Amino acid sequence: MTVTRRQVLGLMGGLVPALLLPGISHAGNPVEIQMRGSPDGSRVWFDPIGVLITPGQSVRWTNRDPGNSHTATAYHPANFDRPRRIPGKAAPWNSDYLLPDESFSVTLTQTGVYDFYCVPHEHAGMVGRIVVGTPEPPGWTADPRQAGGPPEGTLFPPVEEIMKKRIVRRT
Amino acid sequence: MRMTVLALTLIAFGSVSASAADTVSKAPPPAPYKQVSTLVKLPDFLPGLGQLFVDPATLPAGPFLAYDHDGKLVSTVYMIPVEDLNANKKFDNLAAPGGNVDHVDIYFNAGHPGVEKPHAHIVLWHVPVSGEARVAK
Repeated sequence: MTVTRRQVLGLMGGLVPALLLPGISHAGNPVEIQMRGSPDGSRVWFDPIGVLITPGQSVRWTNRDPGNSHTATAYHPANFDRPRRIPGKAAPWNSDYLLPDESFSVTLTQTGVYDFYCVPHEHAGMVGRIVVGTPEPPGWTADPRQAGGPPEGTLFPPVEEIMKKRIVRRT
Repeated sequence: MRMTVLALTLIAFGSVSASAADTVSKAPPPAPYKQVSTLVKLPDFLPGLGQLFVDPATLPAGPFLAYDHDGKLVSTVYMIPVEDLNANKKFDNLAAPGGNVDHVDIYFNAGHPGVEKPHAHIVLWHVPVSGEARVAK
């Protein structure tokens, strides 16, 4: 059974024109991010871990790990009082637990950088990053070193790498 | 006389152990065990482990009792958070109701609902290695 939940984020979305960046998927095509895990559960990850999309484009997470549940949760005070690591005008999201083959979608309209994580697997480094359009100037996100931030050593793909490759996978 | 008492004691212990194993040999095990997928959002059947039951009061260590698709007990699993493997904490007298153990697997798990922190799975298999295929998928 496949359950799909959908959430549209960013009240200003209709007012923000899509950037016509060369080589970026059209806003009508959702970008797929899979939630994966090794058969014994020793490793878990988002695939890809970093994506570049256009404003108004959707992102869909699907749990492809048959032995585990995962979430796609934005870093934001509304989600377990975590520090904000999404654009200031963007609305946070939390998929809640997705069982195998369940999906969750959001449409991101605010340009900037969005960091997200899996609630039960943040400590295992299961995080990801979405860049929408062109990142805002410095200050787009809270200082990641503040209390309540991601665990020390958590690795997000650099924005520059995402901008260059458009899709970044963990090797 | 001492030998007789010892023999009777061993027979009695063996009977109790066999009786305890009998009560959990088929799913569902008796209360206070509950199916894990009714306690947290996890699939009913976990590939590699099977259908899990646990007494919630024993979390996170367990024991978790794991059953195959036919409801037969295949393993007893303990889940020990990595951060608890230190000089200030220990796990004593964990229940082991599953009976005879054929072999043991120990491996790292990144976490899952119910035991979110990275932990070790200590799996006491009650079936031969070839029997692990019963819960592979």
